[in-house]
Amino acid sequence: MKGLLQPLLNGVLLGGLYAVIAIGMSTIFGIVKLVNLAHGDLMILSGYLSLVLVTWLDVSPLVTLFLIVPIMFFVGFFIQGFLLNRVLGKEMEPPLLVAFGLSVIMQSFLLLIFTPDARSLMTDLAVKTIPVGATLNLPVLYLVDFLIGVGVILAVYLFFRKTYMGRAIRAASDDEEGARLMGVDTRKIYAYAMGIAMMTAAVAGVLVGMTFTFYPHTGPQYLIIAFGVVIIGGLGSMKGCLAGGLILALAQLLGAHFAGPGYQLLFGYGVLLAVLGMRPQGLFGKI
Amino acid sequence: MEHRTLKYRWHIVGLLFAAFATVPIWGSDYVVLFCLLYFLYLAMSQMWNLLAGYSGLLSLGQQAFIGFSGYTVAVLTNYHGVYIWLSVFIGGVFSALLALFMSLFIFRMRGIYFAIGTWIFAEMLLLGFSNWKYVKYGTGLFIRPAYPPSMTMIYYAAFMTGAVALAVVYTILRSRVGLGLMAMRDDEEVSETMGVEIFRSKLFCFLVAAFITGLTAGVLYVFQIFIQPYKAFAIDWTVVLVFIVIIGGIGTIEGPVVGTFIYVLLSQWLAEYAHISLLLLGTIAITIILVAPKGIMGTLQERTGFAILSPRRV
Repeated sequence: MKGLLQPLLNGVLLGGLYAVIAIGMSTIFGIVKLVNLAHGDLMILSGYLSLVLVTWLDVSPLVTLFLIVPIMFFVGFFIQGFLLNRVLGKEMEPPLLVAFGLSVIMQSFLLLIFTPDARSLMTDLAVKTIPVGATLNLPVLYLVDFLIGVGVILAVYLFFRKTYMGRAIRAASDDEEGARLMGVDTRKIYAYAMGIAMMTAAVAGVLVGMTFTFYPHTGPQYLIIAFGVVIIGGLGSMKGCLAGGLILALAQLLGAHFAGPGYQLLFGYGVLLAVLGMRPQGLFGKI
Repeated sequence: MEHRTLKYRWHIVGLLFAAFATVPIWGSDYVVLFCLLYFLYLAMSQMWNLLAGYSGLLSLGQQAFIGFSGYTVAVLTNYHGVYIWLSVFIGGVFSALLALFMSLFIFRMRGIYFAIGTWIFAEMLLLGFSNWKYVKYGTGLFIRPAYPPSMTMIYYAAFMTGAVALAVVYTILRSRVGLGLMAMRDDEEVSETMGVEIFRSKLFCFLVAAFITGLTAGVLYVFQIFIQPYKAFAIDWTVVLVFIVIIGGIGTIEGPVVGTFIYVLLSQWLAEYAHISLLLLGTIAITIILVAPKGIMGTLQERTGFAILSPRRV
């Protein structure tokens, strides 16, 4: 039991990171009704952007967020405004395939510029731990991930509940036709939503870059994590996003604890498939 | 819309068949290699088109069948000394069985859930095989048959899979199942009330696609000699198939025929810069979705009525 506490603690902390990886995808899923298959790659793109800034300005990766979050807002705004909006319609395949193509293009592009070498955003937080009790260690970096992750989700939640813009976005998505009749430019609203989703992806990308190594092809791995969290938690539910993150991370770390580190991802996928097969609307989904 | 080409279509198809059947006689090594790759990708892209373009099954997990069948061939020839072409056939059968097993889980999902479900299955196989001692973990296996087949043999195997894939898709689409599928594509609910057995038709196509994709992958790995989990179960396979079908024209038989040609040409031309060819293909594919969503052949058909292998009964 004692040995179990450490993976449990790490799992909970990692869950916060997984939730912030997924929140952007969940938002777009809920509002634009689109699965952004390029979500993981856009996240990794922000990781690389941060890397450029870190080497260039010699600052902490967390400081680069002040620049990268706005940049990614515009990236998201333009992707939605100029590409995805043009293929949104009755059928779900075209926007999906555009996003898929975008994901591949982004990977090839990153590969071209940054070579296939593994990179990471170095911080001195990485090696620090806070001892808890006799045997337990609290990794500071994971704690930072968790706190920022929960903070971002709270901010997104408040944005969509309390601000005028957030409510407007939700209203436009709830009744697209009605909103358009009232003279609302729903396409522009969607572009804003994607911009906001990409702001969260920027945070997620930097956190992931600080915590793990990344290379141009890591995007899909995080896309699947994001998708897993969204599926487990249920569509468009912020509570579900946090819970999904926790469940997925715990499943992975406990799986790794019992079966060996090679099986970490396998256990996560197993939980995901089980939820997909038994309760496709997610544990917290309404439908 | 009667068209002149329709009258002579079997002559054209027959001529092409004869030309390709004799490639090893008249073609240079390069032409043989080109045609070999062409037929392998043609077979696989036809199958993805059958799923995504006709059956409404957007699969992002074709690599599951490719890798699984490739490993079947490797294990059977290396460890059990099975005759190479027999093991390729068994590879196809195994991959159909895998599809049957997968269908237990993923056939409850629709649309994007199905897409991600298939992808996750493939990722799980990747992890499973790279953690499996029997197949030497991630280092991979060389496929060493007792009597290595000649290039000509492999070419004919590839040619066969390509031709069979084309014939199978054509036959399915002209059959009852195909008519049902096309009715379903137009309106799922109405077609179901009219008696189309949607579930069974979809499952049938899924199994056929898995079998032929597996068969093709078997030939591919006999040709490549080496199999490794990170390559065999990579999403890249499906990426290529998606691009081929979109560029050529999704939901047409001629689409993959043209798309595959463009892909093989491009990938051979940029053989040393694989990621640039992907970058280019991705850009072309996105442009096509934006400008002409029906792809090259779909748009051509719409404009001129040109269709050499239309499944329509005229």
